[in-house]
Amino acid sequence: MGAEVITVSTDTKFVHLAWQREEKELANVKFPMGSDKGGKLARMFGVYDEATALALRGTFIINPEGKLLNAEVNYYNLGRNIDELMRKFKANLYLQKHEVQACPSKWKEEGDKTLTPSAKMVGRVHQALE
Amino acid sequence: MTECCTGLCVGGTVPNFKLETYDPSKGDFGEISLETQMSNKKWTLLFFYPADFTFV
Repeated sequence: MGAEVITVSTDTKFVHLAWQREEKELANVKFPMGSDKGGKLARMFGVYDEATALALRGTFIINPEGKLLNAEVNYYNLGRNIDELMRKFKANLYLQKHEVQACPSKWKEEGDKTLTPSAKMVGRVHQALE
Repeated sequence: MTECCTGLCVGGTVPNFKLETYDPSKGDFGEISLETQMSNKKWTLLFFYPADFTFV
């Protein structure tokens, strides 16, 4: 889909190799597993927890021009929903090609209703979504 | 620049970064950088998590 998923933790690349080999849930993993030793990258993105020396559950979407478009950060005990991540990513791809549009909250995939903000829509979003 | 809860601000430009990686599709170690992603015109989905061999 023109995207590279990169998972990142403070573990070394050796631990990533061992984990991917051991854990059957990861058997189909094809994406690079990044090693952020010392948490330098996690600090840059504001997800480094100084108290534990681990990264929080942060997901960031960066476009091909290097712009950060989305950020989601959860505390340790709440997993992220992959469907929501894919929804956001698909929305970003769609909006890259349709710059004057916006994806409303119920948008799930291409073909769903979008909004084209304009002066005419002010106070009339309900009608625009019908 | 005001401080955003995520460190970097959404809407801002991400500085180049490099990461050592284990790449299961190649079965080998490697390196990835934002610069390379950008020159290949790819989107980057960075997925941070606390630790290998844990559960959620």
